Amino acid sequence: MAELAKVEQEIEVAVDVVKRDFLKILTIAGGAVAAGAIAWPFIDALNPSAESLALARPIVEVGGIAPNSALRIVWLGLPIYIRKLTDKQIADNQFLIPASLPDSADYNSRVKPGYETFVVVVGLNTGVPCELLGNDPSEARGPYDGWSCPCDGSVYDPLGRVRIGPAKKNLAIPKFTFLSDSQIQFG
Amino acid sequence: MAEQTKPWIESRLPVGATLQTHIAGRMMPRDLPYAATLGVLILGAVAFLTLSGLVLSVYYDPWHAFDSVQFITREVNYGWLIKGFHATGTTMLFATVYLVFFRALLSREYKAPGDLVWFLKILLLLTLLLVGWLGYTLADGAESYWSLHNAALTASRLDGLPGAIGDWFFGGPETASTLERMAVLHAALAFLVFLVVAIHYAAKRAIARQPARPVALHPYYTAQYFVAFCVFALIFAVLVFFAPHLGQNPLNLAAPSGLVVPDAVSPPWYLLPEAGLANAGGGALGHVLAFIAAFAVLAALPWLDRSAPGSLPSGRARFLTYLLALDLIALCLTETAIPSALSSILAAIFTGWYFLHFLVLTPLVTASEPK
Repeated sequence: MAELAKVEQEIEVAVDVVKRDFLKILTIAGGAVAAGAIAWPFIDALNPSAESLALARPIVEVGGIAPNSALRIVWLGLPIYIRKLTDKQIADNQFLIPASLPDSADYNSRVKPGYETFVVVVGLNTGVPCELLGNDPSEARGPYDGWSCPCDGSVYDPLGRVRIGPAKKNLAIPKFTFLSDSQIQFG
Repeated sequence: MAEQTKPWIESRLPVGATLQTHIAGRMMPRDLPYAATLGVLILGAVAFLTLSGLVLSVYYDPWHAFDSVQFITREVNYGWLIKGFHATGTTMLFATVYLVFFRALLSREYKAPGDLVWFLKILLLLTLLLVGWLGYTLADGAESYWSLHNAALTASRLDGLPGAIGDWFFGGPETASTLERMAVLHAALAFLVFLVVAIHYAAKRAIARQPARPVALHPYYTAQYFVAFCVFALIFAVLVFFAPHLGQNPLNLAAPSGLVVPDAVSPPWYLLPEAGLANAGGGALGHVLAFIAAFAVLAALPWLDRSAPGSLPSGRARFLTYLLALDLIALCLTETAIPSALSSILAAIFTGWYFLHFLVLTPLVTASEPK
């Protein structure tokens, strides 16, 4: 009889230990969830707000750009040139051998597939960082009908590839996507 | 890896041993009530307010204060919640601090050798009141604007040294940069609160008696703190989500105008008792002197209380303490009322009772207790 009571007591202790461990895990798990739920607003409050993200990803109308001219916008503090090419400019540049250029790049790497008449570049000379001339046909465009730098005299073709130095690199292409034939979104 | 790293750090920087001696293994009396957890909750609330205040300060712009608060509420991710955390955290902090004072009055903690701890408590309350008022002016609503404007104007009207100090503090009666100063002081003094809390803790530990039947703080009291924290967090959450503007004058949610004076300029609830007591004095200097007097009688309590050292308060003394709490609540309520003849008479009665309690009733009742 006494032995039975002893066994019963041992089982009770074992059950209590299991119960205690379960409660411990439950408390820690609940506490971790609660701590995360409180921490998240603090972290997310320092993330960029929807408003500033929307401002950082502007949508630009490009349908109204006349061939042979470029639209200049400012995005993230950089001048961005969006240029509509003429048929002659396309023909002049399409079948050029890339290896013959100072910074080799073929036609398709400078435009988006399906929208080959638009060139979108950062309008800063890659040598001395000056803003380039040539958006309007009346400005100095250089011998390749592209852009020219008023500071060091570098010359670019309509696709933004450097042709005459001292600049050594092609114009940078910003991150953008075509939403439709007439709209592009940056960012 | 962990087995090797732990002794490597421990032999060079004994974090674990220090925590074990001073916190986890600290010997505590066996039967502390839940009210004894209020100190830890105050520290937690101050830390929480500092965190949420840091996030708010990223977006707050003192030159366009009201608009930037709107920006935080409407544009910043979870800005409404962080702002609610900060406002409700203040409410919870002051509620806890006032409870600590109520408990100290009831249990006569202020008697020697607890008098220094009592003075540090008063210093903590004074610092918190200043930080709280500065934070209230930063909201720059219709009420905040007039509270700051009146204070700056009053300070500049004072003569001599008080006027010079006032002008130095506010930067003159009417400058655009005043809120910029208030923001800097609000943040700087908030860190001072930690220092006062730390000194208060050290002073309290120094006079703590060796418990007769001690238990270690961990796990016995950490478990108690955990339960107290859960209840605290539950009340906090209910207030944040269901009463985010609790104890605030609703007019403070309107944009300020220099040409429209609100009917009653009433501060948030946690400043009301002090505002009520300060209003007892007439004129600018009178307000300041009444405020100083209200805190002077609190600080003089270790001497005003004539009871024998270590004696428990009698029923009459306890009744008077409860009455004092009701008196202060009533004073707060009259403060929020639109000024009238009745409200000024009531305010005079309730303020009079406060001073009567400390200067006359406390010495009489405690002296008549059996020694």
